[in-house]
Amino acid sequence: MSLSKSPAQSAKAGEALRDSFIDVCENSFFAYVEACDAHRFAVLAEECSRSARAVQESGGYTAQRASPSEWLKSSVSFTGTFSGAIEVILPERLARTLIASLLGEPADSDFAEHQVFDGLGEFANMICGAWLTNMSQRTAFNLRPPAVTRMVSDWSPLTDSNWADGQGHAMAVNDLPVRLRFRPMAG
Amino acid sequence: MEPESTAVASRPLSILIVDDSTTMRMVIRRVVSLTEVPVDNIYEARNGREALKVLESKSVQAIFTDINMPVMNGEELLREIAQHEEWNDILRIVVSTDGSKLRREAARNLRVSLYVEKPFRPEVVRDVLVQITSPVG
Repeated sequence: MSLSKSPAQSAKAGEALRDSFIDVCENSFFAYVEACDAHRFAVLAEECSRSARAVQESGGYTAQRASPSEWLKSSVSFTGTFSGAIEVILPERLARTLIASLLGEPADSDFAEHQVFDGLGEFANMICGAWLTNMSQRTAFNLRPPAVTRMVSDWSPLTDSNWADGQGHAMAVNDLPVRLRFRPMAG
Repeated sequence: MEPESTAVASRPLSILIVDDSTTMRMVIRRVVSLTEVPVDNIYEARNGREALKVLESKSVQAIFTDINMPVMNGEELLREIAQHEEWNDILRIVVSTDGSKLRREAARNLRVSLYVEKPFRPEVVRDVLVQITSPVG
């Protein structure tokens, strides 16, 4: 099957991915989700980078002192009747509040970086699983363990051509920017 | 999947949580602690192989297990448990992102009492745990 014909790349599949994302955010992480147009996403991303610099200058998160990018990427790859990966990119600040919410902890809880990465991996895992279940009830997929990475220090979703307009979904979660997409791979 | 009726006594339970994600183990631990079900011990394992080691050395009445895990996945674990007569009475609850009918049917054949699909509301697990541990009749 050629990648261009993957059923996972249809408009319906895109809507299902967005719906799965909203379902996970609202029901497990108790977060408020809105779709973003390009302008609003750009404003939120710029605000995010600005406040991340401020946190860094004030000696904020330990993780940020070591590696200054605010942006984290969580991806879950899978194989089955179609194969690929679900990728989510979001600011660390949002990841921390989502995990605190999932665990019923205060929003300003000081999680270690490995806890943030583990929780963010589970976030992508849930989105991926919910989406694949939605896409195909009769077949099972094999999911690989989530991979969570910090983007390079000067990375921005506004300048990375891999995440240009039209690539996946731009969302606002608790008024913070998130990019979400399906990346097809050969099975 | 409706929970099977069981005759688990209302004595404190020892529970085993099997998931490769620390976060999910913490979530399930928290959900269990929010129930009024008396719990003696909560053990944790990161995969099926670690879970089997716990089962060989501890008395456990209920297992919460993920399906997709490295080393030994949840289905392999449940198959192993099914081969041990002494573990017949252990309540088996799957908590997985994979909600496909195929996985659910496989779980049913492995005597899983409940299949909880992530994302889930904590009340779902709480209600089921209360239901399956309540004295019958």
